[in-house]
Amino acid sequence: MDVAHAQALVGDLALVPAVPESDATGLALLGDWCHRFGPIVAVDAPDGLLFDAGGLAHLYGGEDRLLEVLEARLSALGLAVRLGLADTVGAAWAWARFGPAGIIESCAQHAALASLPVAGLRIEAAIAKRLGQLGFGRIGQLYTLPRASLTRRFGPHLVTRLDQALGAVEEPVAPLTPVEDPNLCLGFAEPIATPEDLTRAIHHLCAGLCRMLAEHGLGARRLLLVCHRVDGVNGRIGIGTVRANRDAGHLARLLLERLDTIDPGFGIEAMRLIATRTDLQAPEQLGTLHANHSDGGDGGGDAELDMLVDRLIGRLGAAHVYRMQPVESDWPEHAMHRVAPMAETYAAALPVLPRPVRLLAYPEPVETTALMPDHPPAQFIWHGIRHKVVHADGPERLTPEWWRGGKDRAERDYFQVEDESGRRFWLFRQDRAWFLHGFFA
Amino acid sequence: MNYAELQVTSNFSFLRGASHPHELVVAAQALGMTAIGIADRGSMAGAVRMHVACKQAGLRLVVGCRLDLDDGLPLLVYPTDRAAYARLSQLLSFGKSRAGKGGCSLDYADVRAASDGLIAVLVPDRPDARLGLELTRLKRDFGDRAYVALTRRFRPGERARLAAIVDRAHGARVMPVVTNDVLYHVPERRMLQDVATCIREGCAIDDAGFRRERFADRFLKPPAEMVRLFADYPQAIEASTEIAERCRFSLDDLAYQYPEEAPIPGLNAQEALERFTWEGAARRYPDGVSETVRAQLRKELDLIAQMRYAPYFLTVARIVRAARAMDILCQGRGSAANSAVCFMLDITEIDPTKSNLLFERFISTARNEPPDIDVDFEHERREEVIQWIYETYGRDRSALAATVITYRAKGAIRDVGKAMGLPQDVTAALSKQAWAWSKEGVSGEQAQSLGFDAGDRRLAMTLDLARELIGFPRHLSQHPGGFVLTREPLADLVPVEPAAMENRQVVEWDKDDLDALKIMKVDVLGLGMLGCLRRAFTMLEDVHGWELAVATIPPEDKDTYRMICRADTVGVFQIESRAQMSMLPRLRPKEFYDLVIEVAIVRPGPIQGNMVHPYLKRRQDPKLVTYPKPELEAVLKKTLGVPLFQEQAMRIAIECAGFTPDEADGLRRSMATFRFDGKVESYEEQFLKGMARNGYPEDFAINCFNQIKGFGSYGFPESHAASFAILVYASSWIKCHYPAIFCCAILNAQPMGFYQPAQLIRDAREHGVEVLPVDVNVSRWDSTIEGGPKRQAVRLGLRLVKGLSVHEAERLTSCRYQPYPSIEALHRRSGLKVASLEKLADANAFVGMGIDRRRALWDVRALADSVLPLFAHAARIGGANIDGGGIEIMEPPAELPVMPAGRHVVEDYAATGFSLRAHPVSFLRHRLESRGAMPFGHLADPVKARDGKRVRLGGLILVRQRPGSGEGVVFITLEDETGIANLVVWPDLFEKQRRLILAATMLGCIGRVQREGIVVHVVVEELIDLSHLLRQVAREEAAPDTVPDATPSMPKSRDLYTRDIRVTHGIKVPTRDFR
Repeated sequence: MDVAHAQALVGDLALVPAVPESDATGLALLGDWCHRFGPIVAVDAPDGLLFDAGGLAHLYGGEDRLLEVLEARLSALGLAVRLGLADTVGAAWAWARFGPAGIIESCAQHAALASLPVAGLRIEAAIAKRLGQLGFGRIGQLYTLPRASLTRRFGPHLVTRLDQALGAVEEPVAPLTPVEDPNLCLGFAEPIATPEDLTRAIHHLCAGLCRMLAEHGLGARRLLLVCHRVDGVNGRIGIGTVRANRDAGHLARLLLERLDTIDPGFGIEAMRLIATRTDLQAPEQLGTLHANHSDGGDGGGDAELDMLVDRLIGRLGAAHVYRMQPVESDWPEHAMHRVAPMAETYAAALPVLPRPVRLLAYPEPVETTALMPDHPPAQFIWHGIRHKVVHADGPERLTPEWWRGGKDRAERDYFQVEDESGRRFWLFRQDRAWFLHGFFA
Repeated sequence: MNYAELQVTSNFSFLRGASHPHELVVAAQALGMTAIGIADRGSMAGAVRMHVACKQAGLRLVVGCRLDLDDGLPLLVYPTDRAAYARLSQLLSFGKSRAGKGGCSLDYADVRAASDGLIAVLVPDRPDARLGLELTRLKRDFGDRAYVALTRRFRPGERARLAAIVDRAHGARVMPVVTNDVLYHVPERRMLQDVATCIREGCAIDDAGFRRERFADRFLKPPAEMVRLFADYPQAIEASTEIAERCRFSLDDLAYQYPEEAPIPGLNAQEALERFTWEGAARRYPDGVSETVRAQLRKELDLIAQMRYAPYFLTVARIVRAARAMDILCQGRGSAANSAVCFMLDITEIDPTKSNLLFERFISTARNEPPDIDVDFEHERREEVIQWIYETYGRDRSALAATVITYRAKGAIRDVGKAMGLPQDVTAALSKQAWAWSKEGVSGEQAQSLGFDAGDRRLAMTLDLARELIGFPRHLSQHPGGFVLTREPLADLVPVEPAAMENRQVVEWDKDDLDALKIMKVDVLGLGMLGCLRRAFTMLEDVHGWELAVATIPPEDKDTYRMICRADTVGVFQIESRAQMSMLPRLRPKEFYDLVIEVAIVRPGPIQGNMVHPYLKRRQDPKLVTYPKPELEAVLKKTLGVPLFQEQAMRIAIECAGFTPDEADGLRRSMATFRFDGKVESYEEQFLKGMARNGYPEDFAINCFNQIKGFGSYGFPESHAASFAILVYASSWIKCHYPAIFCCAILNAQPMGFYQPAQLIRDAREHGVEVLPVDVNVSRWDSTIEGGPKRQAVRLGLRLVKGLSVHEAERLTSCRYQPYPSIEALHRRSGLKVASLEKLADANAFVGMGIDRRRALWDVRALADSVLPLFAHAARIGGANIDGGGIEIMEPPAELPVMPAGRHVVEDYAATGFSLRAHPVSFLRHRLESRGAMPFGHLADPVKARDGKRVRLGGLILVRQRPGSGEGVVFITLEDETGIANLVVWPDLFEKQRRLILAATMLGCIGRVQREGIVVHVVVEELIDLSHLLRQVAREEAAPDTVPDATPSMPKSRDLYTRDIRVTHGIKVPTRDFR
């Protein structure tokens, strides 16, 4: 069914574009989540998960209990699930999708699968359709057919799938490896409370965590330090970096800047440092690091800037540290954009238009004497002071960006003017009113 | 001091200019300009419209264009005379052929080679050294015809920039000339221009950035304002009018470009035409040419001589003769059928002296437009005619006319919505609201009814801008069959570009443009029914030895008219649609002219003008026939006083509303095109006032005007209806007397017409025709007639097997020197691909060998496309017997379950779209009966289904139709094994059960019978989805999900997105849904 047809059927149909990549990621995440029930979980794209229940059932009080628990927990996540449990992957797959779902008793798959449609064998739709046309609609009908004839007509895959479902051949699965955030825990024989002890512990944790990160080629973007107090109250410090970083000294410094927010109370018995967000970070070459330091090269400079920015953000807050980036717009208010301090700025050709070094946040009205329709002012009064214009260039006619919601609907004629004292101003006329909008150097 | 704006970009620089040519001209005139120059980008596509508008406004047009060079600054070029124009046109053609479709790629060297007589204006950017070099170069090559454009950009440092340019210009002794680089006629169009840029660049307005036009004020300014803005450069202002003065070339210089025709040595074209005409007359009237005919011919020939149209008639006659020589059926239609000369030249088959038509509508001295003859050829052989024209007239002297693809409501909403950054589902929902041809777009209320906030600024802007964009040209495409033929090389006349199809070329102008310049064109169109008729004639000759042609079919045959009156017209030309069929029993055609009326009456014109019922009433009761005015009796007598044809409506405008013939024609045209915007209202006023002045009732006047409105877009003049009626009669006659041949011919001419093979075959069988299944040992590609003159059967052809290619079918038939004994043998002998064999097995085409569908599929699956080398060798050494040789792989026999009958039917539908076995519904009859449903066959019985009776019905959906004139009424045609049922669904019920109606494949309904003569409708009260029942047909043996969905291939519907019928697990009945 195409979208247009669906819309003809349902008037107020909401459309969400399919994103197979994020579906796959989501499925993998769900698989990871399932690790809490058992160690071996595999993704069965595009819409299934395989869960090895071998040796687990007794932990839940039987296979049916296990399925109940699984179903309840998955449903609680808002998922609609169908669960099948059998001796083989193939049989469980078919039972969940084409059977009544639930459990096929051990060694009963031969009988259980017989009445299911052949599509339950995990075969191409075209082959399933062909089998149907030949009158072999159910899996059981294939049991008695000569296998050589089947292979000749439908390739080896069909027979393999049949054997796998019935348990005649082994089927390997590729389980997901469980992942968790890199973290390190430090327990203390005696609770600690002094700033010196805490500082030392933080340095220790940072050094250890950075070694772990380096092993995986990662760098920290966000760290969480959890301090477990003897009375069970936890203190937390969270910090962030602008780029993946595993410089233990730097990370420790960022944490220590916030140390005063931790109240050690009667003492802290354990600390855990968790890298809650990490990015890939290439291993640094020890040699070049030194070289950069000695000649003050760019690489080292970048890293130092990063660290400076990290510390500024730590003190001022993320909202107050930013970078200006030019935007493709001639309208002065829109020509610059705030971006994250270390964001990649595109080296776009900056507008070659002359612009004042300082732009007023809001244009200020001025009184002028000027000839209509498009002449520069002969003089203007700003903050009660009269400026006589000796030189002027313009108009630079700018049309508002009409698609934006703002109030500005009229075009502006900008003039660069110079007064007798040599000061240069940026004035504009909008409709019939004049404004001062900036100063040139 | 005066000023002429020379750098004007119209919206024929697609998605760049934001004003129509006529808007620009009208604005320029209002501002007091006396000349204007067009400079579209590498194109002359908008030049003719500009030219026409300028003539109306009394402005002089400076024809030119802007060339964006690959290796230099852009140039504006304006030809000073006809020869220079020819060079420019050649240059553009060259640039287009080099760039490929849509582009134009030129170097400075190319322009230099064509520089004679061209004025060139350099468009500078920065006043740098490069500019100096280019100016020097320009001066060297163009001499005193070299200029440089001086344009305000409203940027900082402008004064200095202009001064520097002028400085450089003086240095190179090049004259500066002021231009304003105009993109739109009024400042308010800037927004639309920005949006057009975004559509062109494929970006949203928020991301457009510097891709938008950055310089302000790109609209037309009054000359006085331009003088003020360039107060420092008065000479540069004067240079603009100087250029306008120097360019004396006008597009009118291009007129009269007929190819020379001198078929008879020693005679000129007019003399030759006269001789052919009188010879033709002698042939048409062996008993002597009557005085009226003589007078009519004399009159036409005089007019043709006066207008110098003789070569045109000779050209069309030559094409028609050539087609006949190639054994291709053809027939002229349209207004040409008004001409007795065309009849004598065998271009048309209508004897115009019998029907008292108006030659003036065809050619009028006042209108001064070239005649326009449309000729239909057999659809699939039209290409041969086209290639003949190319070869005969030369590829450099013939090309297809262009069609300007313009924005309609849906596309405008879609593109503007995207440019404005609206989410895709919002634009999709909005564009669905737009009725394809409306000029209104989507209103705020409509948007609100979809649950959008009409106050939202973006949304409101989108709807406004989309409305403005409607009618904007988007790109050029090729006309389906309009040929331009010229005496001189075509590229001297108009830029020519290569078409998408190989060996085709297209000019930049469309039919209206060519009309305006009086350049000759011939319409070479394709018509499926002609191909069907030719096939039928060939079969008639093969089977009965009867050589027949359209003109020699026995006229006025009673049996044929009886069949037509029964509405037994499935497959017949034109009168096969549901609306036509329901009209037939009411109109009861008894003679040829009734068919002419039948063809014309079921059209938007008469329907919108409320002319249908008055006509039918008068037919039943001759006492009702009156004439609004005695003078009109001559005009309206044939149609009982009710105007049904275009000519009649025009004539009423002339006789009753006081229009001049030219005004009447202008009125008709104003309805059809966007070209004369805003004139419709003034015509309407004039019309109604004129009628009132002459004392006609207001409702008659309004109806007449509505009818003209309807005619505007769907014109059906009487002559055209008459040409079509000939084909109606011919196809009806064959169907009536030779149903087997008719069925066979129409199956081979598919796709055409209204019905699918399933219905055509069913119809033939109901008329006693034996239809034999596809068989690999008998069938050819086409369906064929088996048996002799006494009794015939239709053998279905391999073309009905879905997915089988002609090529594979040819291999099959060419190796069939003796019947294939087995699938193996067929495979080995013909080398057919396994995939093709599977398709044949699906279609049960091996059943003639005694191998049923399942066994065939099982056997075919075992074959491989390439034989293993060892076996191939074995086959060679043992290969005395070509079919039997080779080594079989021995395998144990497999028991295949027997396919039940229902499943066979399902598979038939999947493989061929029809079944010769039982109807799918017949398997469900007992279930339908248990629900109290009546077989459709009973509907014809006035006792079992009396008028007003409440009935229950159930059947497959054949057609869903929502006619534009029906105000939302939906017609559904259902089919069961006994017949069809016509359902009428009122709009409120449709809205309530919309989903069910559009999604179901099988419907049940409760409704009331409505009888009108033999026409039976069922007015639906409630609908029930029975699609699940249909699924049962296939499902007699297997578990529910064994029959996977055959992926439904949904054909596109017209407008309403629903023309599928989705397959229920196998049965695919393609329905046709119209709106």
